[in-house]
Amino acid sequence: MIRFLSKVWADFREYIILVILIIISLIILSQNQNSKVQTVRAIAFGSFATFTSIISDIFSITDLKRENEELRNTNTNLMLQISKLRKYGIVNDELKRLVNFKNKTSYPLIPANIISRSLSMTQNTITLNVGEKDSVSPGMPIINDQGFIGMVYSTSQDFSIARTIHNTDLKLAVMDERSRVQGIMIWTGEELLIINIPNNFDIEVGDRIVTAEVSSIVPIPIPIGIIEEYKAVETSVFSYIRVKLFVDLTPIENVFVLAEVKSKQIDGLELNFYRRN
Amino acid sequence: MRWDFIIPLLIFFPVLLIQITIVPLISISGVVPDLILIILVYYSITRGQLYGTALGTFYGILIDLITGSLLGSSMLSKTLAGFTAGYFSGETKREINIHTYNYSMIVFLCALIDTVVFSFFSAFDLQTNLFSLLFEQSLLPSLYTSVVAILFIFSPLRRKKI
Repeated sequence: MIRFLSKVWADFREYIILVILIIISLIILSQNQNSKVQTVRAIAFGSFATFTSIISDIFSITDLKRENEELRNTNTNLMLQISKLRKYGIVNDELKRLVNFKNKTSYPLIPANIISRSLSMTQNTITLNVGEKDSVSPGMPIINDQGFIGMVYSTSQDFSIARTIHNTDLKLAVMDERSRVQGIMIWTGEELLIINIPNNFDIEVGDRIVTAEVSSIVPIPIPIGIIEEYKAVETSVFSYIRVKLFVDLTPIENVFVLAEVKSKQIDGLELNFYRRN
Repeated sequence: MRWDFIIPLLIFFPVLLIQITIVPLISISGVVPDLILIILVYYSITRGQLYGTALGTFYGILIDLITGSLLGSSMLSKTLAGFTAGYFSGETKREINIHTYNYSMIVFLCALIDTVVFSFFSAFDLQTNLFSLLFEQSLLPSLYTSVVAILFIFSPLRRKKI
């Protein structure tokens, strides 16, 4: 028996080891949501991110001049828009005062730099140089002046990893700004689609898409993109809606973390309400 | 201490550093070469199939931990890639497969397996167009990786006796 096993091991050890490692991989795949695994992940990328931040700082210096000019241009345009909006704001404040409306203060933004990125076409992630010590926590949206970029997924003391919108694991509740139709946005690995919108709903090419206010993970409407292609699918009740992002994810380096996570109290209250009914 | 076995483990970290900071600068429409796979294939051919398989597992789990992708996905895909590359190892085949354009072809094959398996776990659903998935997420990155591997054939570092 032992001789037989020795012979099998000698002849097939590579295959035996391969099968064992595959089984281990599949077990680890099933443990992704385990809290201990998340802790190990945070320690691993936090340690490595220290080195990646040094390299990315060196390369970011070369882009500063170009970026400064673009920012000056953007600032000038924004200044003109703000002047116009200020006038509307005054009127709006007066109307709100008349109906005794409660004002919402501006949202806290944490500036951050992207120090490394995983350019997988299906699981695009970025590492930021802000973490728990900067009050960043999982679930916070990542944005820039153009719109929505992604969501913080895991944090360590000094760094955090975020899933960008080009990540198949990030699914967002979104809304057509014009018609207020809501759906779920997913990344298929090739294109950004809004799913579960019936064919007879009011959707047009060119409509602006923002995050939905009913979203349990993004607290305010943030611009995402515009509808680039829309067609009613004959063999299905749902339409095919493809979205073009406002943000070009490849060259971005400076982002903001929206330091607000939707209230768990609200979520818990709503969940209990629906369960009771 | 067997430095021959430890050096591939240590060399992973600077290569990964380059992969996630500098390599994105040479991306073409979001397609990047996989430097980790290039060194994995090299060590699989030079050190044998068993070592290559284990090395692929080691590289994969660290990639998943550090880059935040689905834990276990790179581990599985790199294990299979390392195992496949090991088929081209052997006393008589090693020199030919390392020092000629065979190396680029082997890298292409292993990259294809790596990307197909990885894409399967991250992007596949019943509505996915399989051919589109294979072309954009497997074939193009594999081609780019094999082109970069050609540069490796001419690298003076590889002239060292195996």
